[in-house]
Amino acid sequence: MADIKIEIDGQIVNAKAGETLIAITDREGISVPRFCYHKKLSTSASCRMCLVDIEGVPKPQTSCSTPVSDGMKIHTQNEKAKASQKAVMEFLLINHPLDCPICDQGGECELQDVAVEYGSDVSRFSEGKRVVAASDIGPLIQTDMTRCIHCTRCVRFGSEIAGMMEMGGTGRGEDLKIEPFLAEGITSELSGNMIDVCPVGALTSKPFRYELRSWQMVSNESIARHDLTGSNVYAQTYKGQVKRIVSGDNEAVNETWISDRDRFSYEGLTHENRLLTPQIKVEGQWKEVEWNVALDFAIKGLSNTVLNNRKAHKLGGLASSTTTTEELYLMQKLLREIGCENLDHRLNVNNLDEAIHLESNLKLQALEQVDHALIIGANLRLEQPMINHRLRKAQLSGANITALNVKEFDYNYALNHVSVAPNEIATILAGVLKIVLEKKSIELPEYLSAISPSSSSVELAKDLLNAERPVILLGEHIINNKQAASIAQLIAEIAKQVGANTLNLSISANALGAQHVNFVPNSVGMNVNEMFKAEMRAFLLLDVYPEYDFHHANSAIEALSKEDVFVVSLNSFNNDLVAQYSDVLLPMAAMYETSGSQININHDIQSFTAMVKAPDEAKPAWKVLKVLADLLELPGFHYENSTQILEEFEHQPAHEHSQETAIDLSQQSTAIETVWMHNCYHSDALLRHAKSLSMSTLGQVNSASMNANTAKELALSDGDEYLGVPVDITETVADLCVFVNSNQATNIRSMS
Amino acid sequence: MISDNAKKQIDHWIEKYPQGKQSSAVMEALKIVQAENDNQLTHDSIQAVADYLNMPGIAAAEVATFYENYNHKPVGKHIIRFCHNISCMLNGADDLIAHLETKLGVKTGEVTKDGLISVKKVECLGACVGAPMFQINDKYYENLTADKIDDIVDGLQ
Amino acid sequence: MNEVCFKNLDKDQCWSLETYEASGGYSTWRKILKGEYTPDQIINELKASGLRGRGGAGFPTGLKWSFMPRNAQGQKYIVCNSDEGEPGTCKDRDILRFNPHAVIEGMAIGSFVMNATVGYNYIRGEFIEPFNRFEGALKEAYSAGLLGKNINDTDVSFDLHAHLGAGAYICGEETALLESIEGKKGQPRFKPPFPANVGLFGRPTTINNTESFASVPDIMINGGQWFADLGVENSGGTKLFSVSGHVNNPANFEVSMGMPFSELLELAGGMRNGAKLKAVIPGGSSTPVLTAEAAMGMTMDYDGIDKAGSMLGAGSVIVMDDSTCMVEALTRLAHFYYDESCGQCTPCREGTGWLYRVLKRIMDGKGKADDIELLLGVQEKIMGNTICALGDAAAMPVESFLRNFREEFEYYIEHKKSMVKG
Ligand SMILES: Cc1cc2nc3c(=O)[nH]c(=O)nc-3n(C[C@H](O)[C@H](O)[C@H](O)COP(=O)(O)O)c2cc1C
Ligand code: SF4
Ligand code: SF4
Ligand code: FES
Ligand code: FES
Repeated sequence: MADIKIEIDGQIVNAKAGETLIAITDREGISVPRFCYHKKLSTSASCRMCLVDIEGVPKPQTSCSTPVSDGMKIHTQNEKAKASQKAVMEFLLINHPLDCPICDQGGECELQDVAVEYGSDVSRFSEGKRVVAASDIGPLIQTDMTRCIHCTRCVRFGSEIAGMMEMGGTGRGEDLKIEPFLAEGITSELSGNMIDVCPVGALTSKPFRYELRSWQMVSNESIARHDLTGSNVYAQTYKGQVKRIVSGDNEAVNETWISDRDRFSYEGLTHENRLLTPQIKVEGQWKEVEWNVALDFAIKGLSNTVLNNRKAHKLGGLASSTTTTEELYLMQKLLREIGCENLDHRLNVNNLDEAIHLESNLKLQALEQVDHALIIGANLRLEQPMINHRLRKAQLSGANITALNVKEFDYNYALNHVSVAPNEIATILAGVLKIVLEKKSIELPEYLSAISPSSSSVELAKDLLNAERPVILLGEHIINNKQAASIAQLIAEIAKQVGANTLNLSISANALGAQHVNFVPNSVGMNVNEMFKAEMRAFLLLDVYPEYDFHHANSAIEALSKEDVFVVSLNSFNNDLVAQYSDVLLPMAAMYETSGSQININHDIQSFTAMVKAPDEAKPAWKVLKVLADLLELPGFHYENSTQILEEFEHQPAHEHSQETAIDLSQQSTAIETVWMHNCYHSDALLRHAKSLSMSTLGQVNSASMNANTAKELALSDGDEYLGVPVDITETVADLCVFVNSNQATNIRSMS
Repeated sequence: MISDNAKKQIDHWIEKYPQGKQSSAVMEALKIVQAENDNQLTHDSIQAVADYLNMPGIAAAEVATFYENYNHKPVGKHIIRFCHNISCMLNGADDLIAHLETKLGVKTGEVTKDGLISVKKVECLGACVGAPMFQINDKYYENLTADKIDDIVDGLQ
Repeated sequence: MNEVCFKNLDKDQCWSLETYEASGGYSTWRKILKGEYTPDQIINELKASGLRGRGGAGFPTGLKWSFMPRNAQGQKYIVCNSDEGEPGTCKDRDILRFNPHAVIEGMAIGSFVMNATVGYNYIRGEFIEPFNRFEGALKEAYSAGLLGKNINDTDVSFDLHAHLGAGAYICGEETALLESIEGKKGQPRFKPPFPANVGLFGRPTTINNTESFASVPDIMINGGQWFADLGVENSGGTKLFSVSGHVNNPANFEVSMGMPFSELLELAGGMRNGAKLKAVIPGGSSTPVLTAEAAMGMTMDYDGIDKAGSMLGAGSVIVMDDSTCMVEALTRLAHFYYDESCGQCTPCREGTGWLYRVLKRIMDGKGKADDIELLLGVQEKIMGNTICALGDAAAMPVESFLRNFREEFEYYIEHKKSMVKG
């Protein structure tokens, strides 16, 4: 676009030909009132609030839709512009309630802000205000449509960003009503952004409702850690409690959107199951004690079981990857200092000999630019919403996207879905690799000799070869695939040959942080599964909830519960099971209650401070670990704040685990395989305690999906349960496999 | 929800539009489905049309509630749409509407007890030189008088 | 009279292909198929003809056609606006019923000029009879090998379809009409971009009124100058005037532009019952109302009506005698715009209802002394501030009724009853 000069309110301004006026005034800090305009949404130019006067144009023009041209002279404040703006304001107010003091948006309402400046005598309207009947659109968003100013931002958000048009404007003229069509209300995983885009109090946060005014709260930047994006958020707090999470702005990460998971998980912070005081188990009885008593008890227990008799190899350290990098770093440092190499964060992997090694080498902004994506084993919409959002943008700008999945999920953009049973994936990819190698006249490795590529392989290979900027994404559904390691290795090979980037989405939350600080056993140590098979004497657990976190939940619980095993649990939540196997309970700070960092898919270390103090006696885990280390008289734990910990590990080279796994395609199982995924609103402890999310349509999903043939093979029918989960017979699932999406504890024990 | 016959009619409309633009047929599809369902659209029939045309339900609902020619409440077998706009008003439409209301024993917006006829006041139907006029189903009746109205209405069954 | 769109009106089966061809119909199209015309030649004839858009805005048709990026890659569309819903207007209905082939040929010629190989005629949903006529004509044209792909083995293609509306005046606004063809609510788009660049399905599109298209074939047969000479300066040709209201013989009249209003009134049989003329809305409900005096001194062409203080619009002449209560008439019109506003933009959505409610209140005998100022203030706040011209259309009658017949409104407010009807 050509560089041009225009004049705004007498001031010469540089611009590009064709830019919209409002983009320029925003850049220049010239304030033009607006309601329907949103920089990330299409233009609607319907509220008419941004009218300005352009010399030589008889009618006032909307800044949000007018492209500028060289020499244009614009007046945003002259009499004509002001008259139009005032007129629009007056029209907006005649049907808008003037009871701001009781409105939930009071104090952060764009209408209120502008009205103060423009609204004049609204009293002239005496014809009675429009009242719109209340409608319930679900547990997350509160509606008060009498306040709606019909800016359609929420409607455009739905169709353009969420990719599912759920809100619409029905009726016409004065009867125009913004509402959803479906009885279940709004179900998008991104729905809460409608709250942020709504300029008035028509759509507000239901969990937050009536609590506070925005000005009463303190708002600080933080990071949400439920997935690999690490969305930037503002945590709004009041009197030591997180009251609301709203979206932050970071083009490189989440642009200006956040998932509902990130927005509403904070509700779990105040759940009644929070562990609030240190407790020790004496003769089978729990006793609340002071911190120093609990810590001494922990040290004594560890000493008795493993430390005093050089049995550190009988100690196991397990951590959830939802914790901070600092916590993970300190914990591994502590364990390694005392000679323990048994540590792991890969709790949900069935067979770590088949562990996935695949690098992520494409940043989110670049993901938007790909022209082809191959998704393998993921329902990205629910598992990695913001990554899915970037892919959606790529698709809308023309990228061709294919998903290789056990189930045809509700994708929110057009893609080619290829239905595959888990045991077919490696073979298909091997076929792809074979075609690619043959095309490039590269000698075939031995393991490909017996492969004859299927038509799916041919299609996939063609797309990858034709693409200029392809990416292959490996998802969470593969972690327990019997050929997981081979699949990852095949992807790496294919990517190398076709020049594709890869994204390893088989891990989540802060697993990249755990990898960075090497929270895995070295060659002499045991991994999580090995630990449960060995005769362990003690465990140090960091925010672990076995019934959800472990693939081998049963053997984990058994191992932890043994009479002579001493278990120290640093936990944010308590429950019967935790109480059953633990010997010491140390309450830890949860998300937003501790400082620290997360490493996201861009490999950026994103730091955050504590937004609130942890409740009651709970303490940030890094502090607890530091004190434990001090009590054990370990050297090198003189930290005063978490930043010092960060400084220690941030420049350490990330630990590479690129040991080449030999690809082995010989063993293809023929059994009916099950892919078990936690419901997206039950994927970590904090989420499982966030009540509104659990009540939402997505949070309620609990089904074992299989096609009719598989059901027949398993002798199941509708109404039955499979592994304790209601059976859902649907032809969207590949033959001879089951896809479980459950909001219940993992129940795979009977599977393996 | 949508009969095979209705689908055939809808398909005929879909053919008029470019590939992938089948939602252009939504207005006719809603009319076709309405005609098969007592002249009325329901939440389910709107959803069925949306599904058939592969568009969001709310998008079809927007259309179904924006245009006049869809009914969301029970209507009669015959719908009399009486123009009351300016040219018809100048030619005595208001009195004739009153006459019709009295004759049928209903107000505009209502259905006769036998479910045969409903009366609606509508805006200009584009036949102003034939004012006063009304439309019954697909047909226009112009230069109406009270007698003419009686004849026409008596002929409805 | 009846020299262009209505020239076959008195013939038997005037809508048939046979009748149409007998009077020279499709001769231009056939010449185009034989390669005897270039697009520029046609545009030049149209420019010479002085034909201006008959849908209301009066934009020169030749100029509009020249704006289309005819050489741009990809699909382009040509669209006919037969949504006819402006109160007082009913000419396009008769063109569709009585001369559908002229519309088809006019569109075909346009499709060639603008290289737009697909066309749609948007017919208002209530026009079932005209729709069937048009569909019948399409069938005839297709069977006669006049439409389709690579017609007569030439590189000329034109596929034409009829699209039916479903009851919404706003779909007459050209961008709302495009939205409607796309299967959406008829909400006008903001401009720019204009349809010539981003139109139907995002492609370059030209939209013209039924009468505009139907005038093109005869212009091509007889030449642009012939058409221009039928009318007066700045207003070439003939025009269909729908004369309705208090006249003896309300009808559509195709007459030369520039005819004095008084003559047109005579054609329409004069005032009914010999009553006195009180007011005239000369171009459809959206155009300002004129007093009898202003009307009687006016000629029926763009400039003539402009001079009298109104607009030619769609040529819909609504005649009111002295029994007409102007408060009632304006209230009816205000109700219309209130009912038909699409609702997307604030001033129109909120303002049309406000205007109607104040007028209704006055009619209900609850008017207040400052209501007239209020009405004037509200219409002024709508005027010019909306996405489409419906806002202006709703405002203009209010201003002109109050300017020309203010005392009737004052009387109604003060006496809580009509000055005319008591
Ligand atoms: C509210 C509104 C209603 C309109 N209705 C019609 C209509 O029914 N028929 C029509 O041809 N033009 C109508 N127009 C004008 C069209 O937008 C457009 O200008 C016209 O179709 C262009 O054709 P023309 O250049 O041949 O006149 C309307 C405009 C507005 C703002
Ligand atoms: S609900 Fe809010 S965002 Fe949606 S249209 Fe109304 S005011 Fe705009
Ligand atoms: S002026 Fe009225 S009809 Fe036109 S776009 Fe705005 S609200 Fe819709
Ligand atoms: S912000 Fe420009 S019209 Fe709404
Ligand atoms: S005013 Fe009644 S048909 Fe036009």
